[in-house]
Amino acid sequence: MASVSLTNVVKAFGAFKVVHGVDLDIADGEFVVLLGPSGCGKTTTLRMVAGLEDVNGGEIRIAGEVINDRAPKDRKIAMVFQNYALYPHMTVRQNMEFALKPQRLSKAEVDAKIAGVAAMLGLDVLLHRKPAQLSGGQRQRVAMGRAMVRTPEVFLFDEPLSNLDAKLRTQVRMEIAKLHKQLGTTVIYVTHDQVEAMTLADKIVIMKDGHIEQIGSPEEVFARPKNLFVATFIGSPSMNLFRMTAERGDTGTVLSSPAFSLLLPVELGAKLKPGQAVTLGVRPSDVRLAQAGDADAIEARVEVVEYLGVEALVDLRIGTQEFIAQIPASERPALDQAVKVVFNPAGLHLFDSESGQAL
Amino acid sequence: MGYVNRRNRTIAGVFLLPTAAVLFLTTIYPMLYALYLSFRNYDLAKPFIPRIFVGLANFQEVLTSGPFLHSMLITFKLMGVTLFFQFVIGVGLALLVTQRLPGMAAIRTLLLIPMMISPVIVGLVWLFIYFPELGYFNYFIGLIGINPIPWITSTQWALTAIAIADIWQWTPFVMMGTAAALQSLSPEPYEAARIDGNSNIDVFLHVTLPQLKPVLISLLFLRAIDAFKIYDIIFVLTKGGPGDATETIALYIYRQSFTFWRMGVGAAASFVSLIIISVLITLFFKSMQKSAAAR
Repeated sequence: MASVSLTNVVKAFGAFKVVHGVDLDIADGEFVVLLGPSGCGKTTTLRMVAGLEDVNGGEIRIAGEVINDRAPKDRKIAMVFQNYALYPHMTVRQNMEFALKPQRLSKAEVDAKIAGVAAMLGLDVLLHRKPAQLSGGQRQRVAMGRAMVRTPEVFLFDEPLSNLDAKLRTQVRMEIAKLHKQLGTTVIYVTHDQVEAMTLADKIVIMKDGHIEQIGSPEEVFARPKNLFVATFIGSPSMNLFRMTAERGDTGTVLSSPAFSLLLPVELGAKLKPGQAVTLGVRPSDVRLAQAGDADAIEARVEVVEYLGVEALVDLRIGTQEFIAQIPASERPALDQAVKVVFNPAGLHLFDSESGQAL
Repeated sequence: MGYVNRRNRTIAGVFLLPTAAVLFLTTIYPMLYALYLSFRNYDLAKPFIPRIFVGLANFQEVLTSGPFLHSMLITFKLMGVTLFFQFVIGVGLALLVTQRLPGMAAIRTLLLIPMMISPVIVGLVWLFIYFPELGYFNYFIGLIGINPIPWITSTQWALTAIAIADIWQWTPFVMMGTAAALQSLSPEPYEAARIDGNSNIDVFLHVTLPQLKPVLISLLFLRAIDAFKIYDIIFVLTKGGPGDATETIALYIYRQSFTFWRMGVGAAASFVSLIIISVLITLFFKSMQKSAAAR
């Protein structure tokens, strides 16, 4: 097991910079997820740690040693690829044996390692099969098994679940979480799927355009997004955004827009200057239908209602402003009805409209 | 064909007719005529003599006479040597030209040129090179003090000379097919091997080669069938000589038919070689099915 740290790591393909000085510290045994839209540099960052891409600037350390110029095989890592990267003509057992070959172990040691991993992953009955004779989920497990037999200090996962169907994805995700708990090995895991990130990570690294936008626990990035990108990227459906102007009212700071105005809680209002342009963010789950006696209710029209079983997503409109409320399915209103909604005061996020940074 | 109704089938038949007619006139009719001749005593030098039925006599002569069996031996010897070198060099070059290095695309195109030249021209080019007194080869080895080699005029060297010319011409074919197959291989298993630390030789033997196997088998059979029919280069360089040192099956058939005018024997030899090629092709498809089933 080992810690990993990246210091001002830069990657460019020709004149095109794809990773702009990434700084990241990963503790021994930590499960870190690099999350971001495609093209954000997360896979490139992972491949630099793996040694499959050269590092153009900065330092990468594993267990305290700089490994920039070390061959991939000398980094004590193992990688699980998006397309599994299994050797198609070899059986499951041969795939694992080939991964162990450079270690020059005795046949008994190899057999013991394979047997151990196969038992852990339930691959025992598949050892004599070739990849083409396996389902997607089984191939994924073989790919993990091949990484595990080498007992690396760091596991690298490159979008390992993206080729699986939704149901299988949930299942393998849980297996990965269980394995990490069992093995305690450091993991760097790349995905564009926020559900994977939220469920697996000790620490999420959200990237965009080659920059790190925020590093934090799943709770932190969800509850306290640092900027508008993180706020809208994490959470499904996305956070509702309202462009507002701060004003000094009789009872405190008021946000106003052509659509509606809203009295802010004192501690939030204190952060704003009168006339400041701010973007108000409210997660759909923090929008609820007003009850009798709710002060400051906002009137909106129901445009679409999506019934999801336990809950419903309601598309609402005030003038040109559209937003979504996520409410219990039993409370869902009828279409085209005028309803009154309130925002949960604890769920209000304020961002500077110009910089996009959280206030 | 279940969804094609009768009217459509008629139209399809009409469209196929020209191709079928050409195929019949240029392939099927000559083949049937050759089959007819192979049972007759037909001397082209004396066309007025009736072509009498001789049973299997022509086949008997072909299969029991020394010259045909000798030509078969020459053919397989040449095939073995040329295929071996074409594949070793061709696969090696394919590994080289699929590297991402500057100028590789240009080098690859240059390397393909021999394949694009007509075999007769290849024969002529090598004739210049091999020519005993004035040839380039002997000139250059003369510069470093080596005695001239009688490339095409000695029974000892003639087959080697032809093999070199054929290897030169057809190695690019193997290279091209292998390079195409190499480029279609997924890069991820190679990256996995790099991370695991497998040596280049291990990766080539255990990852690349097994994946190339179906393509290499196809190329091998295509080349084998072609090598079996080799004619043009030899005709230009040695005409099967000196003596019968480079007389392959195709040259034997030519000599019987158009030098000795024994059309019946030539036709019978053609059929024997057709059967050998058919066996090769059948083996080829069997092995393709087997490797497809194994995947």
